[in-house]
Amino acid sequence: MSTLAPTEILALARILPELDYYQLLHLQPGASPAEIKMGFHATSRAFHPDGNRHHDAEIGEAIDKIAKRVSEAYSVLRNPRRRQAYDYQRSCGGGVRIRLADAETVGGRQQSEAREGRTPQGRQFFNLAKQELSRKQFAAAVRNLQTALTFEPGNELFKNKLAEARAKLDDARG
Amino acid sequence: MAEIAVGIDLGTSNSCVAVRRDDSVEVLRNSYGESTTASVVFFGKDNVVQVGNAARASIIHDPVRTIQSAKRLIGRYYFSEEVKKARAISAYEIVEGENHGVLVKVDEEKFTLPEVSAMVLREMKAIAEARLGASVTKAVITVPAFFNDNQRQATKDAGKIAGLEVLRILNEPTAAALAYGFGQDLSQRVAVYDLGGGTFDISVLEISEDVFEVLATCGDTFLGGDDFDDRLIDLVADEFMQAHGVNLRNDRYALEKLKVAAEGAKKGLSADSEVEIRIPDIIVDKDGNSQAIVRKLDITEYAALVNDLVQRTFKVCDEALQQAGIVGRDLDGVILVGGPTRLPLIAEAVREYFQQDPKNDVDPDEAVAIGAAIHAASLVNTESEAYLLDVTPLSLRIGVAGGLAETVIERNTPVPIEQTRTFTTFKDYQESVEIQIFQGESREARGNELLGQFVFSGFEKAPRGEIGIDVTFEINADGIVDVRARDRATGQEASTRITLSTGLSESDLDRIMEEGRTDRVSAQPAVDDVAVTEPTGLEIDEGRGEDLDTGADEEPEPELLVGDEEPTTRVALPEPGPPEPTLADSPDTVTDPRAIAFETSGDAEIPGLEHSPSAFESEPSAPDSVIDVTDMIEPAAELTEEELLPDPDDLEVLEDVELDLSIDLTSLDDSDEPRTDPILDNDELELLDEELFEEPGTELNPREEPGTGS
Repeated sequence: MSTLAPTEILALARILPELDYYQLLHLQPGASPAEIKMGFHATSRAFHPDGNRHHDAEIGEAIDKIAKRVSEAYSVLRNPRRRQAYDYQRSCGGGVRIRLADAETVGGRQQSEAREGRTPQGRQFFNLAKQELSRKQFAAAVRNLQTALTFEPGNELFKNKLAEARAKLDDARG
Repeated sequence: MAEIAVGIDLGTSNSCVAVRRDDSVEVLRNSYGESTTASVVFFGKDNVVQVGNAARASIIHDPVRTIQSAKRLIGRYYFSEEVKKARAISAYEIVEGENHGVLVKVDEEKFTLPEVSAMVLREMKAIAEARLGASVTKAVITVPAFFNDNQRQATKDAGKIAGLEVLRILNEPTAAALAYGFGQDLSQRVAVYDLGGGTFDISVLEISEDVFEVLATCGDTFLGGDDFDDRLIDLVADEFMQAHGVNLRNDRYALEKLKVAAEGAKKGLSADSEVEIRIPDIIVDKDGNSQAIVRKLDITEYAALVNDLVQRTFKVCDEALQQAGIVGRDLDGVILVGGPTRLPLIAEAVREYFQQDPKNDVDPDEAVAIGAAIHAASLVNTESEAYLLDVTPLSLRIGVAGGLAETVIERNTPVPIEQTRTFTTFKDYQESVEIQIFQGESREARGNELLGQFVFSGFEKAPRGEIGIDVTFEINADGIVDVRARDRATGQEASTRITLSTGLSESDLDRIMEEGRTDRVSAQPAVDDVAVTEPTGLEIDEGRGEDLDTGADEEPEPELLVGDEEPTTRVALPEPGPPEPTLADSPDTVTDPRAIAFETSGDAEIPGLEHSPSAFESEPSAPDSVIDVTDMIEPAAELTEEELLPDPDDLEVLEDVELDLSIDLTSLDDSDEPRTDPILDNDELELLDEELFEEPGTELNPREEPGTGS
């Protein structure tokens, strides 16, 4: 009972990278477990891989892609531990997806924080930067984050924090 | 009419085929009028292959050419425990194939397991075609929910070899739930307790009208009705040893007779509280005297014999319920599936465990095929009427440093699903990384099933840690795993999956199809058209018509139960009655009317070897002789112990093979430069992952020292 038109399916597949799990399942962020289940069932009816047999390859592929993301969203949101990790990630401005294994091992907030950064040095300077930020020492925070990034050049979290610190530094300087 | 697509329950002991047409589902009966067909393949000397009852009749007189329980071997490694066990007890020859695969050998010919299963599937296809009067090319084939990727892939290959387009590999308990709840607009949580011939599955499902969501599934692929039989075989053989000093297990023919007797006793005890096992002339002793077994067995003794096996199923149930986050009494229903669940002792134990009466809405032998048929029809129709949301039964893992296997997709995660992980090199200027994929629940790589490994190379040489390789793991709706790797810098892709054993490559598959050895399955006799065109819903198709040009080597028509007396829920017709003269046509047979017999104490004689359920006690009795046709054969020369028991030295070698697993791929390293280190070391693989999801705490480096953060 795929009620969506093929063009709508393709459009959804295109914006999939931007949708968070709640949006994908048509849920409010505070959704109850029963609502999550209903959202999963409703979305699955529309995007079940069994439904793609009668579409052309492009639509079939789009449905398949959406179906896989729907499973992922449900796997995270139905599990309180994973959901907590996901919500925390979102609250920190993190991505719309979370790796299942991470959500499982990271679990809660404390563990997440303990794991900020891949290298000991990166973490050390990142933590220093956070302390400087809380003391409104923005210039020091920027320096520490720049140092942290030399250890972990690809770290998006560090980059985001750096941008935040720079913006605050600019504000402070008027 | 829409395309025909059938559902096939490819069982360890028996298989069943069904079709949904219009609004009724019909189990398609074989030419004996039975709803299930023995999953047994007999390789005749005349190059003709028989499947089903004709083949089962050969188990006793020609066990080395009769392949049974092939499902226990499909998709397994030669060195696996299950294959070791099968080698110890099977009369037919099991040999090692390429890449630690398993082959069965008959005379000088070797067959892969997908080919053997394809022969069973061909028979099921032929049964369907004979009943439907039309060609059947599409099917949904069921597998135990707990089957791993290798086993699923091999089953799918078997379908292809049999000339079927496999629309879906469906989990047996899910199929049974569909048979139970389809079109009923239910809102229920149910457990499907599926004890088959060789496997046990428990699935917990939530049915919400047209959605069938599997909450959790657990299983044991080493536990089934066959194990119950083994217990009884051991008991009887031990007693015989004490009484006569002869080990029946060392005689292939005696052992096969014992197996048949044990299976018959199990079936007998499904209906009656006591059976008598009678095997005259089981063996000729040293003095030339023929020895017999006559023994009564009551349900209490049998229950004690198998109690720990039954309890083992509940350990698995504990796990499934815990994974589903519910307790037994939360369930709205418990559905029993599989022949052994007809044993009252199982129903009783299930009642106690789940604190409720199990449902008897579905037929334990037919439910899986019926569910598969419902799903097959919905896959060829444009509108789906039911949505199956299944899960992966086993955690998918990747090998990492230290011989460990890290979880990528946890068990009981809904499928289809995809996860990407990023890896990097562990050594400076490393040229390739090897990726090993496992399924299982052990943190240690060795404790899991190895699905495959591939080597990814061709990326730039760089200091350690600078190369990023995205590895994407996908599990599709069939539960089949696909892994692709991509170099982040160049976008170069590789999905050169090297399956170590059981998987057939495309070229293997092409060659097998080309050879067409499975075509040898002798054709199913045509069935009268009248019987064919009447859809009878779940009811049994009563008309069998003037079937069957049975041919000289086939069994004669069995007694058929017709009319109102035939209950719709029956499992299987009794074994084709005692067709005394038939097998005499075969040159191998002798006319010695020896028998294995089961009698209920007290009541009427049981017609035929297979004890029919009590519902049929009113049926006209077959002649008293209670003779099994399969037992009319003189045993061949005595076999020596060495022929039957695995050589202990062999077993040691097998262990070595297991250890050597990872060495095979060295040949794949096409690097020109001499290497000082083997490329296969998982230590060379480092989890990187950091940029993929942008969330904090993405670090997955297993070498990371904790607690150095601040």
